[in-house]
Amino acid sequence: MSDVRLAAEPRTEFGKGGARRTRRAGKIPAVLYGHGTEPVHISLPAREYTHAIKQGFNTLLTLEFDGKTELALTKALQRDALRLTVDHVDLILVRRGEKVQVDVPVILTGEAAKGGLVNQELTTLSVEAEATHLPESIEVSIEGLPIGEHIAAKDVTLPKGSTLVTDADANVVAIMAAPTAEDMEAGGGGEENAAPEAAETEAEEAEPAAE
Amino acid sequence: MLSPKRVQEGRRKPHKPKRRGRAKGGTSVNFGEFGIQALEHAYVTNRQIESARIAINRHIRRGGKVWITIFPDQALTKKPAETRMGSGKGSPEWWVANVKPGRVMFELSFPDEPKAREALTRAMHKLPMKCRIVKREVGEAA
Repeated sequence: MSDVRLAAEPRTEFGKGGARRTRRAGKIPAVLYGHGTEPVHISLPAREYTHAIKQGFNTLLTLEFDGKTELALTKALQRDALRLTVDHVDLILVRRGEKVQVDVPVILTGEAAKGGLVNQELTTLSVEAEATHLPESIEVSIEGLPIGEHIAAKDVTLPKGSTLVTDADANVVAIMAAPTAEDMEAGGGGEENAAPEAAETEAEEAEPAAE
Repeated sequence: MLSPKRVQEGRRKPHKPKRRGRAKGGTSVNFGEFGIQALEHAYVTNRQIESARIAINRHIRRGGKVWITIFPDQALTKKPAETRMGSGKGSPEWWVANVKPGRVMFELSFPDEPKAREALTRAMHKLPMKCRIVKREVGEAA
């Protein structure tokens, strides 16, 4: 995965007000920790960081602050649900050559057998790999996979240098018989229970009659 | 249609749910690939939920899966027409889900993205508020 260089700044203001002032200045409040060190509060340039994260969640970041350089990975990210901007980032320190555990997205390729419904149970796989050589994605081919078949995590071909951490027997994808159009139309709630009164079996008293 | 199986006596005629604030949870796509996210407050009735579900299913025909991530568990009451004020609270009329901005209401898993978006657009027309289609963020923790 590509390496992105970001100019971070140490953060002196904390709390709601400080964080909001940081965001208004076009920066993202972040915290950097790991390897038993004290957490460091920093701010990242919002535009550059958002661009970096679009390339992949596991993009390796080279942070420059206080005259030193640190390698870091994104551990957790908080987004604004409506504006979709990044509110805060947790970064974890890594070292060159160190093995880290990350969640890598699973991408399905090909088309399953006709009449099959692809049920992807795992959208990411946890793997252990070198921090500087993290896989961007893991491709799983479902080309011509018949109905009733499934692919377990142990059957997935991992990129070179990666080892599986997820439970080996966990189902990644299963092909089920697709429901017919009639089944889908009927499959909502089923029971006729339109009016709230129908559910009021527990209610003791009857409604007072309106004038 | 979705509705509670049983209602406690004290909750049969509740006050109207608050229409303020933002969704505290359920703001990301967790089950399918695409979702419908609310951008405004609204009371979504069980009829509207059912109508939107049918709109999605009729469009995708087969090969996809739909999740409904809201539940109409709040009763709204109404007084009969041409009634004088007083004489107690009206009778329960609708079951609604109190939806706040940011809430993902429907999720869909379907291999063909343009068709999935079209199906969700049809469902959005059945809902009483402004919404948008959101896609699952790859690799990002929910």
